Amino acid sequence: MVILLFVFNLLFSLILAVPMYTSLEESIGRSEVGDRMVEGFDYIWWEEFRDQSRGIETTFSPSILGKGAVLDNFVHLIHFGETSLPRVILVFGALYILLHTFLSGGIISVLSKDSPLFSIKGFFSAAGKFASRFFLLMILSWILFFSVIAFRYFLYTLVNNVSDTARSEIIPFYLSLISSIFVYVLFLFIQMVFDYARIKTVFEDSRNVLQTTKDAFVFVFKNIGSTMGLFYLLLLTNLALTIVYIILKEIIPQSSAVCIAVVFVIQQMFICSFIWIRCWLYSSQLELYKYLK
Amino acid sequence: MNKKLWVWTLTIILSGSLYLHAADVPFCKQIANYSIDILLDTQQRVIFGEELVTWTNDTAYATDELWFHLYWNAFQNNMSTYLTESSRGRSRTARFERDDWGYCRIEKIDLVQDENFEDIDLKPDMEFRSPDDGNPFDRTVFMVNLPQEIQPGQSITVRIFFKSKVPRPISRTGVYKDNYFIAQWFPKMGVFQNGQWNCHQYHASSEYFADYGTYDVRITVPSQFVIGATGEHRGQTANEDRTITHFFYQHSVHDFAWTASPRLLEYKEDYEFIPGKTTEITLLLQPEHKKLKDRYMNAVKNAIKYSSIFYGDYPYTTATCVDPGYNSRSGGMEYPTFFTGGAYFLTRRGIPSPEGVTIHEFGHGYFYGLVGNNEFENPWMDEGFTSFLDTEVYYAAYGEPVFSKSYFGIPVTFKGVKIPIESDGISRHRQTYNMDQLQRYSWEFMEDESYGANSYSKAELMLRTLKRFLGKDLFAAMIKDYSMRWWFKHPKPKDFYDVVNEYAGEDMSWFLDQLVYGSEKLDYAISDISNTRPTHPKGLFDGEYRDNGKNSKQDIFESEVLVRRLGEVKIPVEVQIVFKNGETIVENWDGLYRWKKFKFNRPSPIVKAVVDPEYKLVLDINRTNNSRKVKPNRLAPLKDVSSWLLWLQHFLELFTLFGG
Repeated sequence: MVILLFVFNLLFSLILAVPMYTSLEESIGRSEVGDRMVEGFDYIWWEEFRDQSRGIETTFSPSILGKGAVLDNFVHLIHFGETSLPRVILVFGALYILLHTFLSGGIISVLSKDSPLFSIKGFFSAAGKFASRFFLLMILSWILFFSVIAFRYFLYTLVNNVSDTARSEIIPFYLSLISSIFVYVLFLFIQMVFDYARIKTVFEDSRNVLQTTKDAFVFVFKNIGSTMGLFYLLLLTNLALTIVYIILKEIIPQSSAVCIAVVFVIQQMFICSFIWIRCWLYSSQLELYKYLK
Repeated sequence: MNKKLWVWTLTIILSGSLYLHAADVPFCKQIANYSIDILLDTQQRVIFGEELVTWTNDTAYATDELWFHLYWNAFQNNMSTYLTESSRGRSRTARFERDDWGYCRIEKIDLVQDENFEDIDLKPDMEFRSPDDGNPFDRTVFMVNLPQEIQPGQSITVRIFFKSKVPRPISRTGVYKDNYFIAQWFPKMGVFQNGQWNCHQYHASSEYFADYGTYDVRITVPSQFVIGATGEHRGQTANEDRTITHFFYQHSVHDFAWTASPRLLEYKEDYEFIPGKTTEITLLLQPEHKKLKDRYMNAVKNAIKYSSIFYGDYPYTTATCVDPGYNSRSGGMEYPTFFTGGAYFLTRRGIPSPEGVTIHEFGHGYFYGLVGNNEFENPWMDEGFTSFLDTEVYYAAYGEPVFSKSYFGIPVTFKGVKIPIESDGISRHRQTYNMDQLQRYSWEFMEDESYGANSYSKAELMLRTLKRFLGKDLFAAMIKDYSMRWWFKHPKPKDFYDVVNEYAGEDMSWFLDQLVYGSEKLDYAISDISNTRPTHPKGLFDGEYRDNGKNSKQDIFESEVLVRRLGEVKIPVEVQIVFKNGETIVENWDGLYRWKKFKFNRPSPIVKAVVDPEYKLVLDINRTNNSRKVKPNRLAPLKDVSSWLLWLQHFLELFTLFGG
């Protein structure tokens, strides 16, 4: 199942990777820049590329070639609505969210079976069965997410007001950092609650999404220690794997075809692990739900 | 007393006197001397001042007028020329309340006569002028008519009582809470040149222009304030009203700025930048940047050391660097012997903060400070020269900086991405090259970005290109000579041209005019490389069958490189051609026509060609097309797109948080 989800992710991404490859190839062309980009990074070429870039090309920067890829995405997540992402990336992101919402019915359904044997037919059948309810849950979650985004604007306005009258940049910095962390924690909390709503929908075949959502909130608050503890434990695992990936990426030079291939494999293993932890989270939450219910 | 002892004693006394006098011996003619007494009233945020200006007519022309700048009147209402030109200034002042505006008002202005005659009140003859745009609301320039002409060589003294209201921070001056940064705060004389007064209004994009002279300034501030200013701090006296009067003195400068705040941490260090030559460095730090003290201090030292090597030994005895207060909007600005840096409390090695801006602002002590160009009319002659200076000094002292990005306010460096010196300014130039020419009055550029791109970036790139074109040793000698030759003077573009021509041994206007008075792009490219085998005769020739290909013992390639000039700037270039067998040829092309083909017959095909292989033409807006390989490296786009793919894949997975 993880492989299937990984394949979806890879194929989806390749749709945009192809035109991106073409853009890079055209820009580098037959220039010596190609040699320099394999050996390291040609900053002067990149500035030329950036200055004439359009659409997805604008997302290519030195930062995404290393640890910055992960950091850039966290900024886009927490500052969603404020950072400038090209429309095509936003559209693809939205489509992928819809796809994943559809697939998560199949994921939870497979995991909820006593002996979870995976079959493509069963997986998609379950996904289809719960799709409409999952989409409604997604809409409900968006109401909360956008409320958090609105609250975030309020927080940032407060921080700006403090900053305008501050004597040094230190307090505004910490306030801004705490605000960002708080927004992220709220996002994760909403995600966690709706994970349980989705689990309840599948496990109990609940049909009333509003009631399901309310029950999920009640469940989480009643078992706040266990639910949060489990969630953050797996989040930390994810963080640890991310750090391992970043270290490997930094230390393996990509100056030959073999090394580029090795790093590509490591990158895909990292994405796979990301997906695997998501499934693991669902599985653990499902077990916790069963146990506490 | 022993005769020998007398001699030694006298020698010591005389040496001491000589030292004291040597320190006060001006470096040049003191045209406009200012003796100013001021009191900073922190309750009203007003400076009360009495200024004695002694001006000497050092020209061949007489005049019966005196012209002055009152820069702070640009901030007294939103109809001034400065604020009508500055959208940023307007949005800032839109939130100004009554007490936030600033001004500089003349309370009294008298022509000082000798002791036998009464001073003459000049205020009735005072007129505001707007020589640049006729704006009736602009009060940044005034003139007074004199009862008689000042002849060449004559001096005149004027006493001015003025009141300057300190604005909320705007244009690098003002007060934020108890942090005062005071610049362009006093009535300052214009420059009399060629029979006319050069005294422009204060524009959004302009800076300043004044004559050299001596500043003898006494500043009274509350006793808890730490103060820094242009020149030497020569003492202080405590007053009964819990204020302190500080004495500052500096000759051979054309401006005076100061700062005062109770929060500043003061550090002083004597720095011997050349054996026998010492400057006292004063560093005024914000408390939250205390850990940046060494970085700031080393930046100033490196700036003094390398600038002295490149542009002449720093002549002043002091250099004061101010770490600007948060929200003070005074960072990144320059005044003679006194300048502001700029730092963030979180910074890392490899990121040029605070070094970059500190070196740049110190560098202005040379270009504009020592070489006193007219910043209104020739902004590139200080901004461009200083931008060139700061990168040369920074890279010499620290090497290449690394790419960095801030995440939630935390800087992260990417050590594998180094930023070469050639990249400084080229992106900005590439995006603006056809907006304006380099030489333009500062307020006549199409927009703010064009002013910045031309005055800073294009001028810097032009100098770097000139350096590589002439050769670094010749250029080094030329630029140092230009610098020192024009210390304490007001050069114009032609004066720089003359020095360049002298050292180049030819008229370089063909080079300089294109870049200073043109707005075209410079872009050379290798357009094509071809390698073909010659056509061997085969077939019937006059009845005889020939097939020379079978019998040829040696293959010769007919190779061709097509070099093109895609821009309008014409500069001779070199073209490097590399053959498969390792042979390398360098050809010269005058770059005049649109293209040039280089043809070769060699046993080995061409594998690569590069136009401008030594990267002399730093102004070339597209360096990528300067080289071409027969077999491109296909790994590069694969490598980069695979990293980009990871970013996208991670992005999509992370955002499923919003779904399921």
